Amino acid sequence: MTRENNFDHTMKFNVKAEEEVNEARTVLQEVYEALKEKGYNPINQLVGYLLSGDPAFITSYKNARSTIRKLERDELLEELVRVYLYRELEKER
Amino acid sequence: MEYLHIKGKQKIKGEIRVNGAKNAAVAILPAALLTEGVVKIDNLPRITDIDKLVDILNALGAKVSSSEERCLYIDSSGVDNFSPPPSLVNKFRASYYLMGVLLGRFGKVAIPMPGGCNLGPRPIDQHIKGFTALGAKVELEHGIVKIKAKKLRGAHIYLDVVSVGATINIMLAAVRAEGKTIIENAAKEPEIVDVANFLNAMGAQVIGTGTDVIKIQGVPELGQAEHTIIPDRIEAGTFMIATAATRGEALVTEVIPKHLDPIIAKLKEVGAYLEVGPDWVKVKGNNVLFPADVKTFPYPGFPTDLQAPMMVLLTQAPGISFITENVFEGRFRHVDELKKMGARIKLGGRTAIIEGGYELVSAPVRAMDLRGGAAFIIAGLISRGETVLAGVEHIDRGYEFIEERLKQLGVNVERKIISDEVFPGK
Repeated sequence: MTRENNFDHTMKFNVKAEEEVNEARTVLQEVYEALKEKGYNPINQLVGYLLSGDPAFITSYKNARSTIRKLERDELLEELVRVYLYRELEKER
Repeated sequence: MEYLHIKGKQKIKGEIRVNGAKNAAVAILPAALLTEGVVKIDNLPRITDIDKLVDILNALGAKVSSSEERCLYIDSSGVDNFSPPPSLVNKFRASYYLMGVLLGRFGKVAIPMPGGCNLGPRPIDQHIKGFTALGAKVELEHGIVKIKAKKLRGAHIYLDVVSVGATINIMLAAVRAEGKTIIENAAKEPEIVDVANFLNAMGAQVIGTGTDVIKIQGVPELGQAEHTIIPDRIEAGTFMIATAATRGEALVTEVIPKHLDPIIAKLKEVGAYLEVGPDWVKVKGNNVLFPADVKTFPYPGFPTDLQAPMMVLLTQAPGISFITENVFEGRFRHVDELKKMGARIKLGGRTAIIEGGYELVSAPVRAMDLRGGAAFIIAGLISRGETVLAGVEHIDRGYEFIEERLKQLGVNVERKIISDEVFPGK
């Protein structure tokens, strides 16, 4: 039995990071849907919010304005850059 | 003449939902003229400035209808008039947004010089600078501003002073100009973001609002859209300050707390207790208040519109407070009336020095501008006796049925009618 699979030993799980990644995805998805449903251009509005930090860019519809505030802007940006770079670098490989 | 009768020594206690932002709505309604399509605008405050704008839109040939409260449908396909009736736009400052809108749509506009609250000199030179840079010719004839352009072309515009009105007006003219416009040193107020949200929903390409560089890629036409106005941070701030001043307790809901950061910070400094949620703020007054140094600045600084209400609060904080008005010259017209109520305030240039901690006493006072009027209501609520406040028409321009709103917050303010001649403060 390898050490990775040995549950008799104390192990460290990095659960928080995974949750944050998922939360960023969920937040962006929910906000995207709300903006789209209300007829706004979701990309323009999200870029506006990320640039300025002003929640006025995000509709209050479906509670999206509160949802976007669940995470800091740097956390959302980190997720966007991470996913983009990962996907683009994968393409090149 | 209508006046407000305010019983003193009342404490605010209750919950209130904040209305849509006046300063966004007064630009968004005219912006509806930029499209031939039908737009739906929601969360409009029921204030007289909006009533005036609806009259102007109708006079220009738009069809304005409503099926639900606070919501308007505007069909501007029939608009063919680029000269709003002077009787409707005189003394109504926000009418200057018709300059950018009608110039953007028709390439010409003729409109009287803007009026509005007397807050000292508020020139429109930065608006003119922007229109000229876009290729328009501007002339002033007998008090009428005439602006014409064969074709508006995008331009790089640096504003010499940060101006909300100029930023919005240039944005409105540029959305249908040919090419790209860049506004540098732009104002960053949330209301500008909201106007851009509406323009973009109609198909405009505006980016960078909320920062000091705004880029607009002109488009040949705009389409239909739906838009909900953001909450009014000034109305929210007025109720928050009133709660702290009366040592009351209030839950102010449907707000964007980020927009209230400077007010929250100052109220905490003065000693009030604040709790902030995702879209609400809870304020609890403190019997012990502390003096403060308040300086008004463009957003995200402390808003000039809350300077007068804040001054009333500071009259209750023992010690010396300072208020420096950096946005509008001459925005201290409320001081003389507050002195009549026993406030100890000295003016030196742009700074007011307030010796706080003394009880205010009721007096007949007259509002001379919108926010000064709101300040007198707060003063009336905390003073000893019964205050009679005239000039209610100024308050009605920006606060929706103020006496009903205050009733929701547990205080009693009555609207009455008397002859101007017998008003005690005359």
